[in-house]
Amino acid sequence: MNGEDKKELKVKIKGGIRDLIAFAKLVPKRRKRFQRASSEPITSDPINEFANKLHPKKQHLIIDEIRDETKSTKTIKAVPDLDSGTNSLAYFRPGQYLSLKVEVNGVRITRPYSISSSPTDALKGFYEITIRKVEDGFLTTNIWDKWKVGKKITCSDPEGFFYYEPLRDKNHIVAIAGGSGIAPFRSMAKEIIETNIDVKLTLIYGSADEEDIIFYEEFKELEKTYPNKIKVVIVLSCDEVNLEGCETGFITANLIKKYIDANECSFFICGPQIMYDFVENQLKEFNLPPKRIRREAYGEVKEIINLSGFPKEVADNAFKIKVHIGSLIEEIPAKASETILVALEKANLNPPSSCRSGECGFCRSLLISGKIYVNPISDWRRAADKKFNFFHPCSSYPVSDLEIKIPRTR
Amino acid sequence: MSENNLSQSFSETYDVVVIGAGNGGLTAATQLAKEGVKVLLLEQHNLPGGFATSFVRGRFEFEPTMHVLAAYGKPPNLGPVRKMFEEDFKIDAEFYPVPEAFRAISLNPDDNFNVVMPFGVEETINKIEEEVPGSKESVTKFIRLCKEAADAIMYIADSEGNPDKKVLMKEYSNFLKTAPYSVGRVIDTFDIPEKAKSILTAYWVYLGPPVSRTGFTIYSTMLYSLLSQGAYIPKYRSHGYTSAFDIKIRELGGKIEYNTKAERILVENGKVIGVETSKGDKIKTNFVISNASPTLVYNKLIYPKEEVPEIAYKQVNARTHGTSGFVVYLGLDASAEELGFKEYSYFVFDTLDSEEAYESFGKLEAPKAQASMCLNLTIPDCSPPGTCIFSITTLFRPEVWEDVKEEDYFKLKTKIADQLIAKFEKATGISVRDHIEEIEIATPQTWARYTGTYKGIIYGYEPDPWDSLIPRMMTMEEEFYIEGLKFCGGFSFQSHGYSTSLVSGQIAAFLTLLDMEKKGEEE
Repeated sequence: MNGEDKKELKVKIKGGIRDLIAFAKLVPKRRKRFQRASSEPITSDPINEFANKLHPKKQHLIIDEIRDETKSTKTIKAVPDLDSGTNSLAYFRPGQYLSLKVEVNGVRITRPYSISSSPTDALKGFYEITIRKVEDGFLTTNIWDKWKVGKKITCSDPEGFFYYEPLRDKNHIVAIAGGSGIAPFRSMAKEIIETNIDVKLTLIYGSADEEDIIFYEEFKELEKTYPNKIKVVIVLSCDEVNLEGCETGFITANLIKKYIDANECSFFICGPQIMYDFVENQLKEFNLPPKRIRREAYGEVKEIINLSGFPKEVADNAFKIKVHIGSLIEEIPAKASETILVALEKANLNPPSSCRSGECGFCRSLLISGKIYVNPISDWRRAADKKFNFFHPCSSYPVSDLEIKIPRTR
Repeated sequence: MSENNLSQSFSETYDVVVIGAGNGGLTAATQLAKEGVKVLLLEQHNLPGGFATSFVRGRFEFEPTMHVLAAYGKPPNLGPVRKMFEEDFKIDAEFYPVPEAFRAISLNPDDNFNVVMPFGVEETINKIEEEVPGSKESVTKFIRLCKEAADAIMYIADSEGNPDKKVLMKEYSNFLKTAPYSVGRVIDTFDIPEKAKSILTAYWVYLGPPVSRTGFTIYSTMLYSLLSQGAYIPKYRSHGYTSAFDIKIRELGGKIEYNTKAERILVENGKVIGVETSKGDKIKTNFVISNASPTLVYNKLIYPKEEVPEIAYKQVNARTHGTSGFVVYLGLDASAEELGFKEYSYFVFDTLDSEEAYESFGKLEAPKAQASMCLNLTIPDCSPPGTCIFSITTLFRPEVWEDVKEEDYFKLKTKIADQLIAKFEKATGISVRDHIEEIEIATPQTWARYTGTYKGIIYGYEPDPWDSLIPRMMTMEEEFYIEGLKFCGGFSFQSHGYSTSLVSGQIAAFLTLLDMEKKGEEE
């Protein structure tokens, strides 16, 4: 295409001068359109309002009821705290969690807890979370001692990706739970019944002993009423078992095989760290593709120094972190064996955080200098973040003195 | 707000505050920082990029919105975007060339329409001739006209908005004569067979409105850029280059604050005097470049409200807000080859009539046009061996999502995703359904959540002929309603799209620098 060609091209739309007049009229036409338009400001945006309703920056709750489920487990029922501006609760997908934002002994922390009530319950105006007491647990000790009906608490919007997705999953869900890992499955079971989802749920639930089983009556009742939808298999690991119809020992491949055809199911696993390792090993026998096994995020890994890749030579070391946050620069202490997020919280410098498993990315920060160890099972960093030294403080540990830039709380 | 939070707040003076770290905001801040200007870039989300980002699910890192980047090109013919990335800013980001333009398929058997188009001007003309014998002459003429429009735009840009009218009349008269019309109107004056027309206008989905309403200049510029320079995508998804911008801005001395929403642009006597944020920052500045739309700025950000001139509201209300998007992201547990993907991008139409397709964006069911892509066909190792990343995009008028109830929302997402997948499978014979390992579905509400865009709109104002590139350029000066305030991004004068948004930020920075110079002289 050269200049010669161009000369030959003579375009006519309406014809000659009329097209040039049309060009000359473009601007006057535009001005006229503006003049004719309404001068009313736009005051509503239903799409953003909906997005804020599903994902409020914060939800203010008030504890309405505390139920003892077992000797070490409580269910906390919370309703909107109207006085603080929360009028309704965000809807969610069963399996999602709330990140509680609480102050314990002067330290502000976040903790993710699966919602154990159903999405329909949220529309009715309440959430339930089911918490198991952790021996010497920083937050749970405080909850057991201090939390009473009427206490105000703050939490995030519902978060997380541990939910049934009909286009991906088989319509037979095998829920493998340990301890308080039952919570998201109670939400799923209720949802299946309440909204009549075309799915069957088989719960295989491991507990230490009879007294430790959470929601036993409730699940048994569901199973009795909806035998085609809900099946419950209780597995007790203690030596002496009196409970009728339960399995004993651990959740092994042989046990699973007795109840379901593994090739026709999607597995959802939620429980303590030790259970993931055991159950995933057992599931290997079925040779399932990765899409058939989903697990809830780990949470903070306990005893990080025992992980094979952890630089053991620094395990007992303490480091300094120079933190840039907003207009401030502060130097804070940190331990190699604790996440950088924990060090920040102890220093009362809280970046936003939710999952504490490396997954949600809210705490994403910039490593300006120094070395960190990132727990590989909770390494959800984007490829470019690895390249440019962005990291998630909730799944990273200092291996030297550091300089970092963190975002301010949401 | 606690004491601790307040003490982290800024109360400094900045030369320029850039609101929003989307494509435009990033290039604006980079250009300003490069000039040694004291610049603060505010972003409400915790990542740079706005729509130009990425997200991780399981083993996959997805590309949320970019289909192709135009105006990039390869040596020696670098496009304006690549020149900016490599020459102006030296951005540390790698891009891969997309192998072919698209495969376009109509689900209507009467259309007999299933074509694969290459990039390259000659290649395109020859391929259309092969599909539609006898079309070569008219198609060649049409593409030549597109080139003239693209050249004219370059000429006007080089003249810094003051083109010599005589030159325009002499060299670019066809451009002048076609600028007032839609691409549909212009293409109809060429004697181009229907099928060839459908091929040449298939890109309409990248701008939104039907061909009868899309300004010819903007469409032809986009088409010619893609044909002559090809298309590219970033190696590490859009987050790869937007985080490279983040690093560059800091390196040049600029400041970026995430999780910080600009809540007010303070205006006094028609002039910008400061910005206030959700974190309690009170910043003094006389210059703001907003990546947020005029719609949001005039209706929500300017403070006090009395400072918003009536004409600004009228301007916003006169324009047609663009469409929102709906995307199904799939991480598949089989390779692209095993599944039978042959092309990077697939356009699947129920109808070749863009009016009819656009109308279907106004119903809550899978619309009659969709564009999908399999990333691995351009970046083979973008996901682990034995897997691939595939996504389907369609458009919606955001209004149709306004009445959806929470309890129906997730089911509706699944239903529409299901329909889109079914259409894709039917059109291509590629079966993806049994291989879904990860799935995510984005709706207008999703875009609203992450970017705050008005009504979840992913495009800017629709480029009808009267609101297309040329009238926007010609009225730019008179439409700066607030002194010290400039716009960039998809809602600014360059119109929407990745390459135009990127360029718009740099231009907004240049305009602001000129204003700063002027102000400096006055003082």
